[in-house]
Amino acid sequence: MLLLIVFVPLTGAFTLPIAGRVSDRLRNLLALGFVLISLVLTAAISMPVFSGETVTSAAIFNNVYNFVLYADGLAVFMAFVSALISAIIIFYSFGYISHYENQNEYYLMVVLFFGGMMGLVFSGNLIFLYLFWEITAITSWRLIGFFREKQHVLRADKAFMVTMFGSVLMLVGFISIYQQTGSFELAAIKSALGTGHLSNLAAALILAGILSKSATLPLHTWLPDAGVAPSPVTALLHAALLVKIGVYVFARLFVATFTVDEFWHTAVPVIAAVSALVSAGAAMVDTDLKRIIAYSTVSQIGFIFLGLSIGNEIGVAGALLYIMMHGLAKGGLFLCAGIVEQNTKIKDITKLGGLIKTMPITAVSFLLCAFSVMGIPPFGGFFSKYMVIAGAVQSGHLWISLTFLVGAFLTIIYLLRVFNMVFLGEVRFAGVKEGSAVMVISVAVLAVLSLAGGILIYWPCQFVLSTIQQLPGIVK
Amino acid sequence: MNEFSILLPIIIPLVGAMLVIIVRRLGGMKEGAALLATIFSLVTAIMLYGRELNYSLPWAGFGMEFTLRLYHFSAFILLAVSVFAFLITLYCCSFMRGKSYGVWFYFYLLISAAMVNGAVLADNLILMLFFWEGLLVTLFGMIAIGGKEAFKAATKAFIIIGICDLCMMFGIALTGYLAGTMTISKISMSPGSLGSVAFIFLMIGAISKAGSMPFHSWIPDAAVNAPLPFMAFLPASLEKLLGIYFLARISLDMFKLDVNSWLSILLMVIGSITILAAVMMALIQKDYKKLLSYHAISQVGYMVLGIGTCLPVGIVGGLFHMINHALYKSCLFLTGGSVEKQAGTTSLDKLGGLALKMPITFICFLVAAASISGVPPFNGFFSKELVYEGALQRGAIFYLAAVLGSFFTAASFLKLGHSAFLGKVSDANKNVKEAAPAMLLPMIVIALICILFGVYNHFPLSNFIKPILGEQRLAGHEFAINTTLIVITVVVLTGALLHHLFAVKITGSGLKSADYIRYAPVFRGIYNRAENKYFDPYDIGLKIVNVITKTAWRIDRAVDWIYEGLTVRAVYLFSNGIRSAHTGNYSLYIVWSLLGAVLVLIVIMKSV
Repeated sequence: MLLLIVFVPLTGAFTLPIAGRVSDRLRNLLALGFVLISLVLTAAISMPVFSGETVTSAAIFNNVYNFVLYADGLAVFMAFVSALISAIIIFYSFGYISHYENQNEYYLMVVLFFGGMMGLVFSGNLIFLYLFWEITAITSWRLIGFFREKQHVLRADKAFMVTMFGSVLMLVGFISIYQQTGSFELAAIKSALGTGHLSNLAAALILAGILSKSATLPLHTWLPDAGVAPSPVTALLHAALLVKIGVYVFARLFVATFTVDEFWHTAVPVIAAVSALVSAGAAMVDTDLKRIIAYSTVSQIGFIFLGLSIGNEIGVAGALLYIMMHGLAKGGLFLCAGIVEQNTKIKDITKLGGLIKTMPITAVSFLLCAFSVMGIPPFGGFFSKYMVIAGAVQSGHLWISLTFLVGAFLTIIYLLRVFNMVFLGEVRFAGVKEGSAVMVISVAVLAVLSLAGGILIYWPCQFVLSTIQQLPGIVK
Repeated sequence: MNEFSILLPIIIPLVGAMLVIIVRRLGGMKEGAALLATIFSLVTAIMLYGRELNYSLPWAGFGMEFTLRLYHFSAFILLAVSVFAFLITLYCCSFMRGKSYGVWFYFYLLISAAMVNGAVLADNLILMLFFWEGLLVTLFGMIAIGGKEAFKAATKAFIIIGICDLCMMFGIALTGYLAGTMTISKISMSPGSLGSVAFIFLMIGAISKAGSMPFHSWIPDAAVNAPLPFMAFLPASLEKLLGIYFLARISLDMFKLDVNSWLSILLMVIGSITILAAVMMALIQKDYKKLLSYHAISQVGYMVLGIGTCLPVGIVGGLFHMINHALYKSCLFLTGGSVEKQAGTTSLDKLGGLALKMPITFICFLVAAASISGVPPFNGFFSKELVYEGALQRGAIFYLAAVLGSFFTAASFLKLGHSAFLGKVSDANKNVKEAAPAMLLPMIVIALICILFGVYNHFPLSNFIKPILGEQRLAGHEFAINTTLIVITVVVLTGALLHHLFAVKITGSGLKSADYIRYAPVFRGIYNRAENKYFDPYDIGLKIVNVITKTAWRIDRAVDWIYEGLTVRAVYLFSNGIRSAHTGNYSLYIVWSLLGAVLVLIVIMKSV
């Protein structure tokens, strides 16, 4: 079952260019189908997993490089959220990417990327985790430079090299774990470490990898630059999957598997706080629509790191909820930005204005998603933001939580600024149309999910609750 | 009635809001749906009054429970909210006719009513915050539909209230952590050092909702742009009720403030400054709605001051003033609305002589203006006297601020009444007629309640207000009003009247009666700056934010330079160095090889 979740998209991706030769429609449906298969299968295994079992499938190689796929609550949660958002984004791509060249390559890369993500999520062996990690890096390199302009390719190179720099450090960290415990397998590492700490060196190296992938200060500047990618790709990379990889691996290793030195429980929140504040400030100054939303992602990732790194129950639960709510809402923002960009050919918000008249559904969806990111009830983002802040307060990090409070203030201001400048005010264009039906439906679905996630908070919270019950290392 | 009925005040307006959207295309049906919903919720509020109910549902977990509690205080606010929602909806039926945004106004109005009801009933801090902060969305919507430029005021309101709500979120997290529970009725602690921090953050939320300084500056902006019934509905009545309700809850129940606490002094100082600064701004306004909006800020000062005294008489006065203010201020805004609808403007220099054209509106205005100025025997008089009494016991300076506030309040309403309703009728207003019955009825009802609550002030005091504090706290306190204070009040009010007559005589016009203060030596400079928004905390805040963000942007660019500049340069430097060692020259390569061989030899020798 786990093998299917990972390998259907991973191998299926390579059939897409062939299918594309036959018919575009077939290829599109196949791409969506592969993601949906993963989504449905993930939902199917969530039943046994949440009743307390863990699902494992393994292939023994030589006891060091065993291929282990392992599903616990955390993995299922992450896989489900990723697959859900990816499915919506691929649906949106039907409308968006049909205007451009090289569609076969696009779908190949996106589905391959998704497969890499699934593999990473379920990976039970550090070496394979690294392998899938690099699959996502290579595919995202290609996707960022998809339009092939020189500037775009340079930006893609930058993204690839920064994340590569981090991941090589992380690989060294993995090797040092191997030296300490004699295994790459998470389960074996866990039992070998017992109650001991992971060495600080290994923790620092792995953290460098995580921070580079999740675009946290000082390794974050590739993310806003990568906004040159096609909009569904930015949504996929910046909001839903790529940046969440780092966060997920942090949760997987530092919360679910190892115990680390007390030092990191203060150091990581401080890094996250600085990152959240600096990028929120940058989001206020920048004038490129997609760069602003990208900076906002960097800022919100800070909140997720805060919740995970303080490590108490409500903080970790809040961070997981944050992954879900932020993915939905931020995905929605990027897709709305895509509609605006495609129809007006402008990304500079100072040159936009009054679009609510011509594209009302996009405008309202953008506003609803923005409310969720700001943390306004009854949207889902409210609960996750509150829980993370409450977790920080309970852990006694008063000053850090106050810094995050300022970050949250800035979130309100810059998102409202963007909305006002793009959708309200003077009408600057004539003849701008609403996006195609497929695209508008996708953003509306994301907006409605953000709203429903808040009003029906009982279910997401139950989901998160059953997830964290399986996590050791949470301070009760 | 079983315990589910506690959900009705939340569900009925929500269902009503959905209905309004569904039937919006059928002519006249949307008004019907909105009216029906408000009537139903009024009936439920009356039925629920005097009961005690608890209701609990599983919700998000982690201390977030869906717990509702109906008891005396919440039932009273619920009743008041329902009355206002009904009357203002009735008013809108006529006011909104022919306006394209009517549907959305009803929709937001009903949702707001549901949110306020939910926040009042909630017995869990997070649940309360959920409803409380949810009002932001409807607030934004209600202001933004007002016109082309209205979104700027909406943005300002959203940012100010949003930031204050986030402060409250922090305060709630801290309170829940200190108290070990999120259930409001179980929290009871004395503010220690951390507790004081928590209290201040909660207080920011409460007084910003009530519209006190320094979180007030969106209200005058909204008054200009937002649809007028919005002003009567949220800033004048519902938000005051909600904000003061929560302020009373935190300072009476959750944190036991006493007269020795510095938090009490802080509240009184905020209250006094709000009273004076806002009323001075009100005095010089030349627009009906804007003048009223500054009074909506100023009057909050009395409530905050009253509750801040931490004396039973002051608290009772503050709470009584809360309900009185909601009555007369919404009535005043409604009169403003009918003037706007009938005369087409609210600019005072274009109005005048409307008393004969719109006699009922004028009478309602007179009653409400007398109430807000504290003229006996209207309701505002009695609540203000109680606040005076409490303030005087805590310090003459607070009393002085409150009385001075009353003087200017009276003066500015004399100015407003004079220039709008008396004087000569301008040519443009020759054909103005009285407003429609659906608009008059709510004003008349509210004006009547103002008189009733004044003449029979024992009825609301002993039925609604005093039970909030409970027998225990009230024991041993008499509420006989001090005769000396009454005399002072009457003198002050007479002084205001004389001042007005005198000023009119000098300047020759009601509108300009305050101009000599406006252009007095010291005041001129202050007023000029205030009108240019030098003192607007929002603009000051935005300037600070600007500095922070510019710094952050520089840091961000500096980090980016490490990748784009430093790394690239370092790589070039390194590769140029290597390149210069590989020139293709044989002899150089031989030297390199020999050096390498020597190195290898050394390593081998060492290991042997």
